[in-house]
Amino acid sequence: MNKVPKKPLPSLLAVIGYPFTIAFSIFSFFQIGFNLEDFKRNFANRRLVTDTLFNPKWDWAIENASQALIETIQIAILASILGCFIALPLSFYASRATNQTTTTYFIYKSFLNFIRTIPDLFWAMLFTVAVGLGPFAGVLALVMFSMAIMGKLLSETIDSIDLGPLEAAKASGAKHNQAVFSSALPQILPNFTAYFLYIFELCIRASVILGLVGAGGVGRIIETQRIFLRFDRISPIIIFILVIVIGIEQFSVWLRRKIL
Amino acid sequence: MKIPSQPLNQKILKYLITFLIVVGSIWSASGLEITPDRFLSAPGKIWILISAMFPLDLSQEAIDRIVPKVAESLFIAWAGTVIGAIFSFPVSFLAANNTSINTISRVTKQILNIIRAFPELILAFVLLPITGLGPLTGTLAVGIHSIGTLGKLSSEVIEGIDDGPLESIKSSGGSKLNVLFFGVVPQVMPTITSYWLYRFEINLRASAVLGIVGAGGVGAELINQLRFRDFPRAGTVLVVTILMVLIVDTISAAIRRRIIKGREIIV
Repeated sequence: MNKVPKKPLPSLLAVIGYPFTIAFSIFSFFQIGFNLEDFKRNFANRRLVTDTLFNPKWDWAIENASQALIETIQIAILASILGCFIALPLSFYASRATNQTTTTYFIYKSFLNFIRTIPDLFWAMLFTVAVGLGPFAGVLALVMFSMAIMGKLLSETIDSIDLGPLEAAKASGAKHNQAVFSSALPQILPNFTAYFLYIFELCIRASVILGLVGAGGVGRIIETQRIFLRFDRISPIIIFILVIVIGIEQFSVWLRRKIL
Repeated sequence: MKIPSQPLNQKILKYLITFLIVVGSIWSASGLEITPDRFLSAPGKIWILISAMFPLDLSQEAIDRIVPKVAESLFIAWAGTVIGAIFSFPVSFLAANNTSINTISRVTKQILNIIRAFPELILAFVLLPITGLGPLTGTLAVGIHSIGTLGKLSSEVIEGIDDGPLESIKSSGGSKLNVLFFGVVPQVMPTITSYWLYRFEINLRASAVLGIVGAGGVGAELINQLRFRDFPRAGTVLVVTILMVLIVDTISAAIRRRIIKGREIIV
């Protein structure tokens, strides 16, 4: 009989990981407190939602929400553009390939990581307190949001660029900054554009809910109608958002394919 | 020396993108009445808020209130991810065009697109009257949204697999189910598992926010403290949340790297 190599023992990660995952999942579901009695009682309320949700009041929504919807899109456009262009130079500093000083690399990298830990709506809440209610707070929140994501994606892309052109530029007498500008930047520009489109999509989604904490956009209208359970007024707004989000997504998928 | 000119198509695209960016930002800034001096004055105002948060409120009472809420966010995120993973896994095979029939694949993809288009918060407040105030609503909202995103990502992984192993199973007499279990699943499992973990990291941020509409988690705590202008306590909420997210991110990133890289086996 042929000699068959012995099957390797399961790895340590699997030995600890599987039981822990299952145990933690069960524990989490208990912590959430699913209670069948409560669920049954609440489930009788479903008509409160479904009756109104599937009975959209189109006229009301078009009359009252179109202005806010435009505001939402404007917030997303401005914030994603600002955030991504602020992140562009930052990510060169947060990459090992283009920043040789370990200290500054570490500072920029942890700064971007730190921003990324705070959820978008937490930023929105903080900015509404700091600069007042309104779309400006929303723009600032999404600037932080898009800056963090772009910084992470782009700095990781810069990590893996071809270092040859950078060296060539330096060999022909370019200073470090000039070399980065002329040899590293063109390499990542297609990625930058693709990431920008992706972040713009994320911002459109995020800007919809900013209004729930008073940071402008269509969420403001959703919030006031939600409190009175006027789902018949909310559902057309949700459908508008759906159409816009899917439309922008299709457009950016098309454009990304053209660029990359 | 003659340098070949850039294709026209690319040039037009470049101008088009620049044009769109410039016009878009001007239109947005004017529509929102945002001027550069408002931007310049913003950092000062934020600094005032941040300095109001320090020193943090680290009294026993505050910690006892905040830590369980943060833990609740963690449980919501995990349970939501589990729901998303369990349901998205079979769905992703239906959505991938190499393991499914063309029509079914298209329809499933569209359904996933529609699910993905709803933010968690909107799902949460629609579910709220049915499932009640509390973490259950948050979990369902996070879970449903995760089905959409994980389904899309997983189906793309399945579409990118190597056909060789599938063919060899077929040629040695394996049934369609055999091909699926021994050809497709082992190839996609590492990447899909790492996507699950990655989604868990995102869901953690989403579940932290859900408290705003009363769907459980730490969000309610932050918005209340900010409304009552109790900045030291709001600062504590923020710091505890950031710490938890940082810890979870680090662990999860390490596990993901290990899953993708695989174990070195000494033969």
